[in-house]
Amino acid sequence: MSRPPHAPPSPPAASDAALPAPDPAVPVPVRALPLWANPRLGLLVLLVILVVVFSSLRSEFLNTSLTLEPMQADLSVTVVVGLAQLSVLSLGHMNLAVGRIAAVSAFAMGWAYDKLSVPLPVGLLIGLAVGALVGAAAGWTIQATGVNSFVVTLALDFGLVGLVSLLYSGVGDGVAFHVHPAGMDSLRNDTFSDYCTGSVCGPPVPLIVPIALVAALAVGLLFRYARLGREILMTGSGLKAAELSGIPTARRVVQAHSLSGLLAALAGFLLAINNGAFSADIGSQFLLPSFLGPVLGGTLLAGGAVSVIGTVLGAAITEVIQTGLTLLQFQVEKLKIFIGLVLLAALSLDRVRHVVAERRGGGA
Amino acid sequence: MTYLADRLVKTFPGVRALDGATLRLQPGSVHALLGENGAGKSTLIKIMTGVLRPDGGRILVPRDDAGAHGKEPGPATDLVKGPSDTDAGLHEVRFSGPQDAQRAGIGVVHQERNLIPAFSVAENIALQSTPRRRGLVDRAAMRELARGCLDRLGVRLDVDRPVSALSVAQMQLVEIAKALATDSRVLLLDEPTASLTAEETEHLFGVVRRLRDEGRAVVLVSHKLEEVFAVADTVTVLRDGRSVAEAHPLADYTQEEIVNLMVGRAHAARRLDKAPVAPGTAPALRLDGVATALGHRDVSLSVRPGEILGLYGLVGAGRSELARAVLGLHPVTAGTVQVHGRPTRITSVGQALHRHRIGYVSENRKEEGVFLQQPLTRNVAVTVWNRLSRAGLIRDRDERDLLTTYQERLGIRLSGPAQLAGQLSGGNQQKISLAKWLAADCDILIIDEPTVGIDVRTKAAFHELIVHLASDGLAILLISSDLPEMVTLADRVLVMRDYRLTGEVANDTHDYDSTSRAIGHLLHAAAV
Repeated sequence: MSRPPHAPPSPPAASDAALPAPDPAVPVPVRALPLWANPRLGLLVLLVILVVVFSSLRSEFLNTSLTLEPMQADLSVTVVVGLAQLSVLSLGHMNLAVGRIAAVSAFAMGWAYDKLSVPLPVGLLIGLAVGALVGAAAGWTIQATGVNSFVVTLALDFGLVGLVSLLYSGVGDGVAFHVHPAGMDSLRNDTFSDYCTGSVCGPPVPLIVPIALVAALAVGLLFRYARLGREILMTGSGLKAAELSGIPTARRVVQAHSLSGLLAALAGFLLAINNGAFSADIGSQFLLPSFLGPVLGGTLLAGGAVSVIGTVLGAAITEVIQTGLTLLQFQVEKLKIFIGLVLLAALSLDRVRHVVAERRGGGA
Repeated sequence: MTYLADRLVKTFPGVRALDGATLRLQPGSVHALLGENGAGKSTLIKIMTGVLRPDGGRILVPRDDAGAHGKEPGPATDLVKGPSDTDAGLHEVRFSGPQDAQRAGIGVVHQERNLIPAFSVAENIALQSTPRRRGLVDRAAMRELARGCLDRLGVRLDVDRPVSALSVAQMQLVEIAKALATDSRVLLLDEPTASLTAEETEHLFGVVRRLRDEGRAVVLVSHKLEEVFAVADTVTVLRDGRSVAEAHPLADYTQEEIVNLMVGRAHAARRLDKAPVAPGTAPALRLDGVATALGHRDVSLSVRPGEILGLYGLVGAGRSELARAVLGLHPVTAGTVQVHGRPTRITSVGQALHRHRIGYVSENRKEEGVFLQQPLTRNVAVTVWNRLSRAGLIRDRDERDLLTTYQERLGIRLSGPAQLAGQLSGGNQQKISLAKWLAADCDILIIDEPTVGIDVRTKAAFHELIVHLASDGLAILLISSDLPEMVTLADRVLVMRDYRLTGEVANDTHDYDSTSRAIGHLLHAAAV
C-alpha cells in the first residue's frame, strides 16, 4: 500500500474523514483483492487439478462416450438448478422447493405431451409457465406475510410432495409419462458430433448443453446489466435502502422467486430429457446441488451479490468429484462422505484465502 | 452520600462531547439534567453508567458504596480533596463496564427499552440479581423479589406476565423496579415521559417522588420543561459539554431563564450567506392541513425553489414520519399535498421520485441511505437505471461517468468506482446518499438529520453544499434536531412537537441568540 509522502503516518483510515477540502485530484490507491484471491480463479484451478488427478488415476475419465458426454448432460441440469437457487439467493432468500417445483412442472409437461400431444417446445413453455407461477406464488406469500422464505418454501415443498404424487396417481401407471414427443430422443442421445457436413463433425457435446448455456448467459446478463436484475440485487443488499431509492421491492421479490421457479422447471425438463421420462421423482435430488454450485461459486447467502460463472464452476467441480470417485469405484455411501469433505475443504480454503487477502490488503 | 461526576471530559473524533461537565447528586432529591441536543447529556449518562470511560475528570461515590466494588484507581487517591467539604468520605471509582456502575449503586432507565420481551415481569426485574438455589433459578424467591420491588413503587402488576404484553408505561415501571432490585442509590431516567400519556406521566412522577422520599437520588432527563418544573428540586444545565448551571435549586429559575441557559452559546453559529427567495415564487411542495394515520394533525407548510425550510423538533416528534408520508410510505388521511401547484396523492417512493422528482436523504445512512455492500457506481445510479438502460441493458461506462460527475461536484473522496460504499467515511457516504437524488434530477429534496455522526469539519462542508444546492434552485426541506445547524442553514424554521407544528420562526435576523431562543420556546412551551 503506497501513500503520499506528506500524509501523516497514522491513523490511516480515520484521517480521511477529517481532511477539510476533499481534493479529487489526489488519487487514493485502489485496494482491489489480488488475482490469486479471486474466488473464481481458485475454482478454475481446483477444477483443473481435479481433472488432472482423476484422469491420471483412471484413463476412462477422459473417455468421451463413457464419461465426458454423460457428465456434460448431468452438468447441464445441475447448473440450471444452481441458477434457480441463485435467483433467490440474490435477495438473501432461499428456495427449498426447487426440486418440487421442478416435479410439478415436469408433470405439467409430461401431461401436455401425453394428453394434448403438443410439440416439444410448446410443452416446455407450458412447464416453464407452471414453474414461474408457483415461484411467483411463493414470492408473493413471502412479501405479503413477511414470513421467512425458508419457512414459506419449506411449506411449499411439503405441500407439493403430496400434490405431485396425487397428480401422478391419477394418470398412466402412476409414476411417469412414457411419452416421447418428436425431438426428445435426439435431444437425449445425440451430440453435435452426430451431425456432420461432409467430413466435418461437431464437438462431442450433447444437444441439451446449449440450453443450459443460454440459461446461464441470460441469468448472467440479467443480474449484471439489466435494471430488473440489479434492482433485485439492491433489494437483497438492503431492503429499506432499496425501498427508499424508489425500487418496487415487493414486485422484485415476486419476480426473483418467479424466475427461480421458471429455472427449476427448466432443470426439471432437462432431467426428464436425460432420464427419458417425465416421472414423479424428478427434482428429488435437486436441493443440495442447488446450493452447492452458487455457494462454492461465491454467491452470498446474505444476498446482494451473485456469480453465474462461479455457479457454473462450482457445479462443474461437484460433478467432476462425483464422476471421478465413481470411476475409482467408491461405494455410494463412501462417495457421499468424500463429496461432503471435499466441499467443506473447498469452502474453508476459500474463506481462508479471502481473510488472508483482506489482511494483506490493509483491511479495506 | 453525594454522588459526584467531577469535571468530566470526553472527546470523540472531531467532537468534544464533554468539556468539564459536573453533575452533583444529593440523596433524597430529584435532579433535572437539561440541555439541547448535542449538549452532552447522553455522553454524561453513558459515563455515569460505565458505558463510556471519560478522558478526564473523576467519578466519586460514597465510601460504603465504593467499598468492595469499583476498581480503585491507585494509591493516594483514597483521600480525595474535593471542591467542597461535603465531598469528604467520597471515593473515586473507575467503571470498566456497566456492571461496575451498577454495583456502585447507579441504575439507569434508558429511552430505548432494555427489557427482554419474551421474559416475564419477574424474570426481567430479577435479571441481574436472580436468586438461585443449588445452581438453579429459585422462581419463588424471584417472584417475591419482583413483587417487593413493585410494591415499593406502589405498582400493581402481575409478575408472571410477559413484558411484551405490557404497555409502554408499564414497561418503564418494570425497568425502574429492575433498578431497585439491584438496590440503585442513583436512578437515571432518560426521557421517561416521551411516550406516556398525561395520566401515566403523573403516575410515574408519583413513583419518582416515592423514590426520592426513600432517600435515593433521581436524575430526570427531559425536554418537557413543564414536567421538569413539576417534579424536580435541583437542576444542572449542560451547554456545549459544560455545565452552565450546577446543581442549582430549580425554584430560582423561570422556564424562560432555563431555555436561555440551554441555548445561549459561547461560539454562536452563523447563518451561511444565501440569496433570498424572490417574493412571489410559487411553492414546489405544499402541504395543507395534512393528517396521517400515524397521528399528524393539521400540518401545513410550503417550500419554494431556492428555499431551505427547517423542520426542527426532538427525536420522536414525527418529522421523519411526515417526510415518509409525503413520499407515499404512510397514507395521508386528510388535507392536500401539492407538488408544483398540482394536488397529488403519492403512493410509492418510485412515484415520488420518477413522477414528482422528490428525493429523500434518510437520517439512517447505513441502513437506508446507502447500500454498504454495493459499489459506489450502483449506489449513485440506482435511481436512474430506467434512464441509463439501452435496449434493457446498462453500460458500466455510463455509471462510471455519472459517479465521476458527482464525485467532482460534491467532492467525494473515493479510491475507485468499484469501491464499496461501506468503505467510505460517514461524510462521504452521506454525499453518495445525496448524489443519487441529484443524479435523478430531483428538484425537491427532503434531507433528514444530514450531519449526525459526522465530524465538525465535514459537517461545515456539508452545510455549504446544502446552501449551494438551494442556490441552484432546489427546494429543500431540512429535518434536524441540531439547533445550530438549523440557524446555519434554514430560511425559516418550523417546530414540530407530538406530530403537530407548534409555530414558525423566520431566520432572518442574523442574531443567533434571538432566533435560537424563539425556536427553543416553541419547542419547550407547554402543549396547549
